Amino acid sequence: MIELRELTKRYGNQVAVDGLSIRVQPGVVTGFLGPNGSGKSTTMRMILGLDAPDRGEALIGGVRYRDLKWPLTTVGALVEAGAFHPGRSARAHLTALAVSNDIRGSRVEQVLRVVGLSDVATRRAGTYSLGMRQRLGVAVALLGDPAVLLLDEPVNGLDPEGIRWIRDLLRGLAAEGRTVFVSSHLIAEMALTADRLVVIGRGRLLAETTVAELAKSDDSLEDAFFRLTSQAIDYRGGAWMSGSHARRMGAS
Amino acid sequence: MNGYGFRHGARMEWIKLRSLRSTWWLAIAAVVSMAAAGSGVGLGYRSHTPVPTAAQILNNSLGGAVLAQLFLGALGVLVVTGEYGTGTIRSTFAALPRRWIVLAAKVAVSGGAALTVGLAASFAGYLSGQLAIRGTAIPAASLGDPAILRAVVLTGLYLGATALIGVGIGTIVRHSGAAIGTLFGLMFVPMILAGLFGEASIPVGRFVPLLMLLNSIAVTSPVPGLFSGWISSLLMCGYAAVTVLGGGVLLRRRDT
Repeated sequence: MIELRELTKRYGNQVAVDGLSIRVQPGVVTGFLGPNGSGKSTTMRMILGLDAPDRGEALIGGVRYRDLKWPLTTVGALVEAGAFHPGRSARAHLTALAVSNDIRGSRVEQVLRVVGLSDVATRRAGTYSLGMRQRLGVAVALLGDPAVLLLDEPVNGLDPEGIRWIRDLLRGLAAEGRTVFVSSHLIAEMALTADRLVVIGRGRLLAETTVAELAKSDDSLEDAFFRLTSQAIDYRGGAWMSGSHARRMGAS
Repeated sequence: MNGYGFRHGARMEWIKLRSLRSTWWLAIAAVVSMAAAGSGVGLGYRSHTPVPTAAQILNNSLGGAVLAQLFLGALGVLVVTGEYGTGTIRSTFAALPRRWIVLAAKVAVSGGAALTVGLAASFAGYLSGQLAIRGTAIPAASLGDPAILRAVVLTGLYLGATALIGVGIGTIVRHSGAAIGTLFGLMFVPMILAGLFGEASIPVGRFVPLLMLLNSIAVTSPVPGLFSGWISSLLMCGYAAVTVLGGGVLLRRRDT
Protein backbone atom coordinates (compact mmCIF):
# COMPACT_ATOMS: atom_id res chain seq x y z
CA MET A 1 0.00 0.00 0.00
CA ILE A 2 1.08 3.54 -0.75
CA GLU A 3 0.14 6.27 1.66
CA LEU A 4 0.70 9.98 1.07
CA ARG A 5 0.29 12.30 4.03
CA GLU A 6 -0.04 16.01 3.37
CA LEU A 7 2.59 15.67 0.65
CA THR A 8 3.69 19.12 -0.50
CA LYS A 9 6.27 20.33 -2.99
CA ARG A 10 7.11 23.88 -4.00
CA TYR A 11 9.35 25.12 -6.77
CA GLY A 12 9.98 28.74 -5.87
CA ASN A 13 6.55 30.35 -5.57
CA GLN A 14 4.91 27.61 -7.60
CA VAL A 15 3.17 24.89 -5.58
CA ALA A 16 3.52 21.67 -7.57
CA VAL A 17 1.91 19.36 -5.04
CA ASP A 18 -0.28 20.82 -2.32
CA GLY A 19 -1.10 18.85 0.81
CA LEU A 20 -1.87 15.64 -1.04
CA SER A 21 -3.19 12.84 1.20
CA ILE A 22 -4.26 9.58 -0.39
CA ARG A 23 -4.06 5.84 0.12
CA VAL A 24 -3.46 3.51 -2.79
CA GLN A 25 -4.77 0.03 -2.03
CA PRO A 26 -3.41 -3.33 -3.18
CA GLY A 27 -5.34 -5.65 -5.43
CA VAL A 28 -6.66 -2.99 -7.79
CA VAL A 29 -5.29 -0.71 -10.47
CA THR A 30 -5.44 2.87 -9.25
CA GLY A 31 -5.37 5.49 -11.97
CA PHE A 32 -3.67 8.78 -11.15
CA LEU A 33 -5.33 11.37 -13.33
CA GLY A 34 -4.79 15.04 -13.91
CA PRO A 35 -4.07 17.48 -16.71
CA ASN A 36 -0.50 18.10 -17.80
CA GLY A 37 1.39 19.94 -15.09
CA SER A 38 -0.99 18.92 -12.32
CA GLY A 39 1.80 17.40 -10.22
CA LYS A 40 1.51 13.72 -11.10
CA SER A 41 5.15 13.20 -12.00
CA THR A 42 6.36 15.27 -9.04
CA THR A 43 4.24 13.11 -6.75
CA MET A 44 5.68 9.95 -8.29
CA ARG A 45 9.22 11.26 -7.85
CA MET A 46 8.56 12.10 -4.20
CA ILE A 47 7.20 8.60 -3.54
CA LEU A 48 10.48 7.26 -4.96
CA GLY A 49 12.60 9.58 -2.84
CA LEU A 50 13.99 11.30 -5.95
CA ASP A 51 12.52 14.68 -4.97
CA ALA A 52 12.33 15.72 -1.34
CA PRO A 53 8.91 16.96 -0.16
CA ASP A 54 8.74 20.36 1.52
CA ARG A 55 6.14 18.99 3.87
CA GLY A 56 4.42 15.68 4.55
CA GLU A 57 5.62 12.23 3.63
CA ALA A 58 5.12 9.33 1.29
CA LEU A 59 5.09 5.84 2.79
CA ILE A 60 5.19 2.44 1.15
CA GLY A 61 3.89 -0.24 3.49
CA GLY A 62 4.50 2.25 6.30
CA VAL A 63 8.12 2.90 5.34
CA ARG A 64 9.77 5.80 3.53
CA TYR A 65 11.30 4.78 0.22
CA ARG A 66 14.87 5.51 1.33
CA ASP A 67 14.42 3.19 4.30
CA LEU A 68 13.36 0.18 2.22
CA LYS A 69 15.64 -2.80 2.66
CA TRP A 70 15.76 -3.72 -1.04
CA PRO A 71 13.99 -0.94 -2.97
CA LEU A 72 13.60 -2.70 -6.31
CA THR A 73 12.09 -5.84 -4.82
CA THR A 74 9.50 -3.73 -2.99
CA VAL A 75 8.63 -1.00 -5.50
CA GLY A 76 8.94 -1.20 -9.27
CA ALA A 77 8.82 2.11 -11.07
CA LEU A 78 8.60 3.45 -14.59
CA VAL A 79 9.50 7.07 -14.00
CA GLU A 80 10.23 8.43 -17.38
CA ALA A 81 10.06 7.05 -20.90
CA GLY A 82 13.46 6.28 -22.38
CA ALA A 83 15.46 6.97 -19.25
CA PHE A 84 18.31 4.82 -20.47
CA HIS A 85 21.75 5.54 -21.73
CA PRO A 86 21.37 5.25 -25.51
CA GLY A 87 24.73 3.49 -25.72
CA ARG A 88 23.85 0.71 -23.29
CA SER A 89 21.98 -2.47 -24.20
CA ALA A 90 18.72 -3.44 -22.52
CA ARG A 91 20.39 -6.46 -20.97
CA ALA A 92 23.28 -4.43 -19.51
CA HIS A 93 20.88 -1.82 -18.13
CA LEU A 94 18.74 -4.48 -16.45
CA THR A 95 21.75 -6.45 -15.21
CA ALA A 96 23.27 -3.38 -13.59
CA LEU A 97 20.03 -2.68 -11.74
CA ALA A 98 19.63 -6.35 -10.81
CA VAL A 99 23.04 -6.65 -9.13
CA SER A 100 22.39 -3.47 -7.14
CA ASN A 101 19.53 -5.19 -5.34
CA ASP A 102 20.85 -8.76 -5.27
CA ILE A 103 18.34 -9.89 -7.89
CA ARG A 104 19.39 -13.10 -9.63
CA GLY A 105 20.53 -12.88 -13.22
CA SER A 106 17.88 -15.28 -14.55
CA ARG A 107 15.26 -12.69 -13.59
CA VAL A 108 16.75 -10.33 -16.21
CA GLU A 109 16.06 -12.87 -18.97
CA GLN A 110 12.61 -13.49 -17.52
CA VAL A 111 11.52 -9.85 -17.64
CA LEU A 112 13.05 -9.45 -21.11
CA ARG A 113 10.76 -12.28 -22.25
CA VAL A 114 7.73 -10.81 -20.48
CA VAL A 115 8.12 -7.48 -22.31
CA GLY A 116 9.15 -9.14 -25.57
CA LEU A 117 12.67 -7.71 -25.85
CA SER A 118 14.67 -10.95 -25.66
CA ASP A 119 15.66 -10.84 -29.31
CA VAL A 120 16.95 -7.28 -29.17
CA ALA A 121 18.43 -7.40 -25.66
CA THR A 122 22.00 -6.89 -26.86
CA ARG A 123 21.14 -3.92 -29.05
CA ARG A 124 21.91 -0.44 -27.78
CA ALA A 125 18.82 1.19 -26.28
CA GLY A 126 19.37 4.25 -28.48
CA THR A 127 18.30 2.19 -31.48
CA TYR A 128 14.95 1.25 -29.92
CA SER A 129 11.60 2.67 -31.00
CA LEU A 130 9.59 4.62 -28.45
CA GLY A 131 7.41 1.57 -27.89
CA MET A 132 10.44 -0.67 -27.24
CA ARG A 133 11.83 1.86 -24.80
CA GLN A 134 8.54 1.91 -22.99
CA ARG A 135 8.70 -1.88 -22.78
CA LEU A 136 12.22 -1.70 -21.40
CA GLY A 137 10.91 0.73 -18.78
CA VAL A 138 8.25 -1.80 -17.84
CA ALA A 139 10.91 -4.50 -17.64
CA VAL A 140 12.83 -2.33 -15.17
CA ALA A 141 9.68 -1.94 -13.07
CA LEU A 142 9.02 -5.69 -13.04
CA LEU A 143 12.65 -6.63 -12.40
CA GLY A 144 12.43 -7.08 -8.64
CA ASP A 145 9.01 -8.79 -8.73
CA PRO A 146 7.72 -5.97 -6.52
CA ALA A 147 4.46 -5.83 -4.58
CA VAL A 148 4.05 -2.16 -5.47
CA LEU A 149 4.19 -0.79 -9.02
CA LEU A 150 4.41 2.86 -9.89
CA LEU A 151 4.11 3.78 -13.55
CA ASP A 152 4.23 7.30 -14.90
CA GLU A 153 2.40 7.52 -18.24
CA PRO A 154 3.19 3.96 -19.35
CA VAL A 155 1.05 4.05 -22.49
CA ASN A 156 2.75 7.11 -24.00
CA GLY A 157 4.16 6.18 -27.38
CA LEU A 158 2.65 2.71 -27.47
CA ASP A 159 0.66 1.46 -30.44
CA PRO A 160 -2.84 0.01 -29.87
CA GLU A 161 -1.42 -3.46 -29.39
CA GLY A 162 1.08 -2.16 -26.86
CA ILE A 163 -1.63 -0.26 -25.01
CA ARG A 164 -3.73 -3.38 -24.71
CA TRP A 165 -0.65 -5.31 -23.59
CA ILE A 166 0.04 -2.79 -20.80
CA ARG A 167 -3.61 -2.83 -19.79
CA ASP A 168 -3.73 -6.62 -19.48
CA LEU A 169 -0.37 -6.67 -17.72
CA LEU A 170 -1.41 -4.09 -15.12
CA ARG A 171 -4.75 -5.74 -14.48
CA GLY A 172 -3.01 -9.10 -14.12
CA LEU A 173 -0.50 -7.66 -11.64
CA ALA A 174 -3.31 -6.12 -9.58
CA ALA A 175 -5.22 -9.41 -9.65
CA GLU A 176 -2.17 -11.02 -8.04
CA GLY A 177 -2.72 -8.69 -5.09
CA ARG A 178 -0.16 -6.04 -5.99
CA THR A 179 -0.58 -2.31 -5.57
CA VAL A 180 -0.62 -0.73 -9.03
CA PHE A 181 -0.53 3.06 -9.28
CA VAL A 182 -0.59 4.39 -12.85
CA SER A 183 -0.56 8.02 -13.87
CA SER A 184 -2.10 9.24 -17.08
CA HIS A 185 -3.74 12.25 -18.58
CA LEU A 186 -5.88 10.01 -20.79
CA ILE A 187 -9.19 9.48 -19.06
CA ALA A 188 -10.50 7.09 -21.72
CA GLU A 189 -7.51 4.79 -21.26
CA MET A 190 -7.80 4.91 -17.48
CA ALA A 191 -11.49 4.02 -17.72
CA LEU A 192 -10.46 0.72 -19.30
CA THR A 193 -7.45 -0.01 -17.11
CA ALA A 194 -8.16 1.30 -13.64
CA ASP A 195 -10.63 0.35 -10.95
CA ARG A 196 -10.03 3.25 -8.65
CA LEU A 197 -9.14 6.81 -9.59
CA VAL A 198 -7.24 9.60 -7.90
CA VAL A 199 -7.80 12.89 -9.69
CA ILE A 200 -5.59 15.89 -9.02
CA GLY A 201 -5.39 19.38 -10.45
CA ARG A 202 -2.81 22.01 -9.61
CA GLY A 203 -1.31 19.64 -7.09
CA ARG A 204 -4.51 19.27 -5.08
CA LEU A 205 -6.69 16.25 -4.62
CA LEU A 206 -9.92 16.70 -6.58
CA ALA A 207 -11.43 13.28 -6.23
CA GLU A 208 -10.67 9.87 -4.83
CA THR A 209 -13.25 7.63 -6.40
CA THR A 210 -13.91 4.58 -8.56
CA VAL A 211 -14.36 4.48 -12.30
CA ALA A 212 -17.92 3.21 -11.76
CA GLU A 213 -18.88 6.07 -9.45
CA LEU A 214 -17.37 8.73 -11.66
CA ALA A 215 -19.16 7.33 -14.70
CA LYS A 216 -22.52 7.52 -12.89
CA SER A 217 -22.19 11.19 -12.07
CA ASP A 218 -22.10 12.63 -15.58
CA ASP A 219 -22.83 11.90 -19.23
CA SER A 220 -19.38 10.50 -19.81
CA LEU A 221 -16.16 9.93 -17.92
CA GLU A 222 -14.53 12.56 -20.04
CA ASP A 223 -17.14 15.16 -19.07
CA ALA A 224 -16.75 14.21 -15.44
CA PHE A 225 -13.01 14.62 -15.74
CA PHE A 226 -13.30 18.05 -17.34
CA ARG A 227 -15.80 19.15 -14.71
CA LEU A 228 -13.43 18.08 -11.94
CA THR A 229 -10.32 19.62 -13.42
CA SER A 230 -11.99 22.87 -14.48
CA GLN A 231 -12.83 23.39 -10.82
CA ALA A 232 -9.14 23.19 -10.07
CA ILE A 233 -8.58 26.12 -12.39
CA ASP A 234 -11.59 28.05 -11.01
CA TYR A 235 -10.11 27.55 -7.61
CA ARG A 236 -7.08 29.48 -8.73
CA GLY A 237 -9.31 32.18 -10.16
CA GLY A 238 -10.78 32.85 -6.74
CA ALA A 239 -13.88 30.66 -6.71
CA TRP A 240 -13.07 29.11 -3.38
CA MET A 241 -14.01 25.52 -3.01
CA SER A 242 -12.60 23.19 -0.43
CA GLY A 243 -10.90 20.00 -1.45
CA SER A 244 -13.44 17.97 0.45
CA HIS A 245 -16.28 19.65 -1.40
CA ALA A 246 -14.67 18.77 -4.70
CA ARG A 247 -14.22 15.26 -3.48
CA ARG A 248 -17.89 15.01 -2.52
CA MET A 249 -18.92 16.21 -5.92
CA GLY A 250 -16.65 13.72 -7.58
CA ALA A 251 -18.06 10.92 -5.50
CA SER A 252 -21.72 11.95 -5.77
CA MET B 1 17.82 -0.82 7.65
CA ASN B 2 18.96 -1.06 4.04
CA GLY B 3 20.04 -4.47 2.78
CA TYR B 4 22.37 -3.07 0.14
CA GLY B 5 25.75 -1.51 0.61
CA PHE B 6 28.82 -0.27 -1.16
CA ARG B 7 29.47 -3.69 -2.68
CA HIS B 8 26.15 -3.61 -4.54
CA GLY B 9 26.78 -0.09 -5.78
CA ALA B 10 30.26 -1.03 -6.98
CA ARG B 11 29.00 -4.06 -8.91
CA MET B 12 26.30 -1.95 -10.54
CA GLU B 13 28.75 0.81 -11.48
CA TRP B 14 31.22 -1.66 -12.93
CA ILE B 15 28.58 -3.12 -15.25
CA LYS B 16 27.46 0.36 -16.26
CA LEU B 17 31.02 1.52 -16.93
CA ARG B 18 32.08 -1.39 -19.08
CA SER B 19 28.81 -1.60 -21.04
CA LEU B 20 29.42 1.74 -22.76
CA ARG B 21 31.59 2.05 -25.84
CA SER B 22 32.63 5.57 -24.86
CA THR B 23 34.48 4.14 -21.85
CA TRP B 24 36.61 1.95 -24.08
CA TRP B 25 37.24 4.64 -26.67
CA LEU B 26 38.39 7.12 -24.03
CA ALA B 27 40.64 4.52 -22.41
CA ILE B 28 42.17 3.56 -25.76
CA ALA B 29 42.61 7.23 -26.69
CA ALA B 30 44.46 7.87 -23.40
CA VAL B 31 46.90 5.00 -23.98
CA VAL B 32 47.38 5.76 -27.65
CA SER B 33 48.00 9.47 -27.06
CA MET B 34 50.76 8.70 -24.57
CA ALA B 35 52.30 5.98 -26.73
CA ALA B 36 52.27 8.30 -29.74
CA ALA B 37 53.83 11.16 -27.80
CA GLY B 38 56.48 8.79 -26.41
CA SER B 39 57.53 7.45 -29.78
CA GLY B 40 57.34 10.90 -31.33
CA VAL B 41 59.74 12.24 -28.74
CA GLY B 42 62.08 9.27 -29.10
CA LEU B 43 62.17 9.50 -32.88
CA GLY B 44 62.70 13.26 -32.76
CA TYR B 45 65.71 12.90 -30.49
CA ARG B 46 67.37 10.05 -32.40
CA SER B 47 69.67 12.23 -34.42
CA HIS B 48 69.74 15.13 -31.97
CA THR B 49 73.07 16.70 -31.02
CA PRO B 50 74.25 16.90 -28.36
CA VAL B 51 73.09 13.44 -27.34
CA PRO B 52 70.21 13.90 -24.89
CA THR B 53 70.23 12.44 -21.42
CA ALA B 54 68.02 9.56 -20.24
CA ALA B 55 66.10 12.05 -18.08
CA GLN B 56 65.41 14.32 -21.04
CA ILE B 57 63.94 11.45 -23.03
CA LEU B 58 61.84 10.26 -20.12
CA ASN B 59 60.51 13.70 -19.18
CA ASN B 60 59.44 14.42 -22.72
CA SER B 61 58.11 10.99 -23.54
CA LEU B 62 55.59 11.29 -20.69
CA GLY B 63 54.33 14.55 -22.18
CA GLY B 64 51.36 12.76 -23.78
CA ALA B 65 49.80 12.83 -20.32
CA VAL B 66 48.63 16.37 -21.12
CA LEU B 67 46.29 14.85 -23.69
CA ALA B 68 45.58 11.63 -21.79
CA GLN B 69 44.32 13.59 -18.78
CA LEU B 70 41.64 15.16 -20.94
CA PHE B 71 40.37 11.76 -22.07
CA LEU B 72 40.36 10.28 -18.58
CA GLY B 73 38.96 13.46 -17.07
CA ALA B 74 36.13 13.30 -19.60
CA LEU B 75 35.61 9.65 -18.69
CA GLY B 76 35.18 10.61 -15.05
CA VAL B 77 32.77 13.42 -15.91
CA LEU B 78 30.63 11.16 -18.12
CA VAL B 79 30.28 8.51 -15.42
CA VAL B 80 28.02 11.03 -13.67
CA THR B 81 26.70 13.44 -16.31
CA GLY B 82 25.96 10.61 -18.75
CA GLU B 83 23.31 9.53 -16.25
CA TYR B 84 21.85 12.97 -15.72
CA GLY B 85 21.69 13.67 -19.42
CA THR B 86 19.77 10.48 -20.18
CA GLY B 87 17.62 10.21 -17.04
CA THR B 88 19.39 6.99 -15.99
CA ILE B 89 20.24 8.70 -12.71
CA ARG B 90 16.62 8.21 -11.62
CA SER B 91 16.82 4.46 -12.14
CA THR B 92 20.10 4.46 -10.26
CA PHE B 93 18.78 6.38 -7.26
CA ALA B 94 15.55 4.39 -7.27
CA ALA B 95 17.68 1.24 -7.01
CA LEU B 96 20.01 2.67 -4.36
CA PRO B 97 18.34 5.63 -2.62
CA ARG B 98 21.35 6.16 -0.35
CA ARG B 99 23.13 8.47 -2.73
CA TRP B 100 26.45 8.47 -0.95
CA ILE B 101 26.73 4.78 -1.70
CA VAL B 102 26.24 5.49 -5.39
CA LEU B 103 28.85 8.26 -5.37
CA ALA B 104 31.34 6.15 -3.42
CA ALA B 105 30.81 3.30 -5.88
CA LYS B 106 31.33 5.62 -8.84
CA VAL B 107 34.52 6.97 -7.29
CA ALA B 108 35.89 3.51 -6.55
CA VAL B 109 35.01 1.95 -9.89
CA SER B 110 35.86 4.79 -12.23
CA GLY B 111 38.86 5.81 -10.12
CA GLY B 112 40.17 2.24 -10.16
CA ALA B 113 39.59 1.93 -13.88
CA ALA B 114 41.19 5.30 -14.64
CA LEU B 115 44.18 4.50 -12.43
CA THR B 116 44.68 1.20 -14.29
CA VAL B 117 44.35 2.87 -17.68
CA GLY B 118 46.50 5.78 -16.52
CA LEU B 119 49.30 3.45 -15.44
CA ALA B 120 49.02 1.53 -18.71
CA ALA B 121 49.16 4.80 -20.64
CA SER B 122 52.13 6.04 -18.65
CA PHE B 123 54.06 2.83 -19.20
CA ALA B 124 53.10 2.95 -22.87
CA GLY B 125 54.57 6.45 -23.12
CA TYR B 126 57.75 5.38 -21.39
CA LEU B 127 58.13 2.17 -23.41
CA SER B 128 57.50 3.72 -26.80
CA GLY B 129 59.97 6.47 -25.99
CA GLN B 130 62.57 3.86 -25.11
CA LEU B 131 61.80 1.71 -28.16
CA ALA B 132 62.16 4.71 -30.45
CA ILE B 133 65.70 5.47 -29.27
CA ARG B 134 66.96 1.90 -29.53
CA GLY B 135 70.19 1.57 -31.45
CA THR B 136 71.28 5.15 -30.76
CA ALA B 137 73.89 6.55 -28.39
CA ILE B 138 71.13 7.86 -26.11
CA PRO B 139 71.32 6.09 -22.75
CA ALA B 140 68.31 3.94 -21.91
CA ALA B 141 66.20 4.88 -18.88
CA SER B 142 65.80 1.82 -16.69
CA LEU B 143 62.72 1.25 -14.55
CA GLY B 144 65.21 -0.07 -12.01
CA ASP B 145 66.13 3.55 -11.41
CA PRO B 146 63.79 4.76 -8.61
CA ALA B 147 63.53 8.25 -10.13
CA ILE B 148 62.41 6.82 -13.47
CA LEU B 149 59.95 4.36 -11.96
CA ARG B 150 58.54 7.06 -9.69
CA ALA B 151 57.89 9.42 -12.60
CA VAL B 152 56.11 6.72 -14.61
CA VAL B 153 53.97 5.51 -11.68
CA LEU B 154 53.08 8.98 -10.43
CA THR B 155 52.02 10.03 -13.92
CA GLY B 156 49.56 7.12 -13.88
CA LEU B 157 48.37 8.21 -10.46
CA TYR B 158 47.93 11.78 -11.68
CA LEU B 159 45.74 10.51 -14.52
CA GLY B 160 43.60 8.50 -12.10
CA ALA B 161 43.17 11.57 -9.88
CA THR B 162 42.13 13.65 -12.90
CA ALA B 163 39.30 11.20 -13.60
CA LEU B 164 38.10 11.61 -10.01
CA ILE B 165 38.19 15.39 -10.30
CA GLY B 166 35.99 14.77 -13.35
CA VAL B 167 33.58 12.68 -11.24
CA GLY B 168 33.40 15.48 -8.66
CA ILE B 169 32.86 18.25 -11.19
CA GLY B 170 30.32 16.10 -13.02
CA THR B 171 28.38 15.63 -9.78
CA ILE B 172 28.42 19.36 -9.09
CA VAL B 173 27.62 20.57 -12.61
CA ARG B 174 25.49 17.60 -13.86
CA HIS B 175 25.66 18.66 -17.51
CA SER B 176 28.21 16.89 -19.74
CA GLY B 177 29.29 19.84 -21.86
CA ALA B 178 29.45 22.31 -19.01
CA ALA B 179 31.29 19.85 -16.76
CA ILE B 180 33.89 18.92 -19.36
CA GLY B 181 34.36 22.61 -20.16
CA THR B 182 34.82 23.39 -16.47
CA LEU B 183 37.33 20.58 -16.06
CA PHE B 184 39.39 21.62 -19.08
CA GLY B 185 39.22 25.24 -17.97
CA LEU B 186 40.50 24.33 -14.52
CA MET B 187 43.35 22.41 -16.13
CA PHE B 188 44.53 25.02 -18.59
CA VAL B 189 43.55 28.49 -17.42
CA PRO B 190 45.63 28.48 -14.20
CA MET B 191 48.61 27.23 -16.18
CA ILE B 192 48.26 29.97 -18.77
CA LEU B 193 47.89 32.60 -16.03
CA ALA B 194 50.93 31.26 -14.19
CA GLY B 195 52.84 31.25 -17.45
CA LEU B 196 52.28 35.00 -17.81
CA PHE B 197 54.33 35.64 -14.69
CA GLY B 198 57.19 33.26 -15.44
CA GLU B 199 59.33 32.22 -12.52
CA ALA B 200 57.63 34.73 -10.22
CA SER B 201 54.54 32.52 -10.29
CA ILE B 202 56.23 29.44 -8.82
CA PRO B 203 54.87 29.94 -5.26
CA VAL B 204 51.37 29.67 -6.77
CA GLY B 205 52.22 27.63 -9.85
CA ARG B 206 53.42 24.68 -7.84
CA PHE B 207 49.77 24.12 -6.88
CA VAL B 208 48.56 24.16 -10.49
CA PRO B 209 47.77 20.63 -11.80
CA LEU B 210 49.27 20.83 -15.26
CA LEU B 211 52.41 22.60 -14.03
CA MET B 212 52.81 19.94 -11.36
CA LEU B 213 52.46 17.26 -14.02
CA LEU B 214 55.05 18.72 -16.39
CA ASN B 215 57.56 19.97 -13.82
CA SER B 216 57.24 17.73 -10.80
CA ILE B 217 55.31 14.51 -11.43
CA ALA B 218 56.27 13.30 -14.91
CA VAL B 219 59.96 14.18 -14.53
CA THR B 220 62.95 12.51 -12.91
CA SER B 221 63.66 15.48 -10.66
CA PRO B 222 61.28 18.40 -10.08
CA VAL B 223 62.01 21.91 -11.24
CA PRO B 224 63.44 23.95 -8.31
CA GLY B 225 60.68 25.59 -6.28
CA LEU B 226 58.12 22.92 -7.06
CA PHE B 227 56.99 20.19 -4.69
CA SER B 228 58.40 16.69 -4.97
CA GLY B 229 56.55 14.31 -7.26
CA TRP B 230 54.88 12.54 -4.35
CA ILE B 231 53.64 15.77 -2.75
CA SER B 232 52.30 17.01 -6.07
CA SER B 233 50.50 13.72 -6.61
CA LEU B 234 49.00 13.89 -3.13
CA LEU B 235 47.82 17.42 -3.90
CA MET B 236 46.04 16.08 -6.96
CA CYS B 237 44.36 13.42 -4.82
CA GLY B 238 43.39 16.20 -2.41
CA TYR B 239 41.78 18.19 -5.23
CA ALA B 240 39.89 15.06 -6.26
CA ALA B 241 38.68 14.52 -2.68
CA VAL B 242 37.49 18.13 -2.37
CA THR B 243 35.51 18.10 -5.63
CA VAL B 244 33.98 14.68 -4.89
CA LEU B 245 32.99 15.71 -1.35
CA GLY B 246 31.55 18.96 -2.68
CA GLY B 247 29.54 16.99 -5.21
CA GLY B 248 28.40 14.60 -2.50
CA VAL B 249 27.06 17.40 -0.30
CA LEU B 250 25.04 18.77 -3.23
CA LEU B 251 23.91 15.29 -4.24
CA ARG B 252 22.23 14.70 -0.89
CA ARG B 253 20.29 17.93 -1.00
CA ARG B 254 19.23 18.17 -4.60
CA ASP B 255 16.21 16.74 -6.34
CA THR B 256 16.85 14.69 -9.43
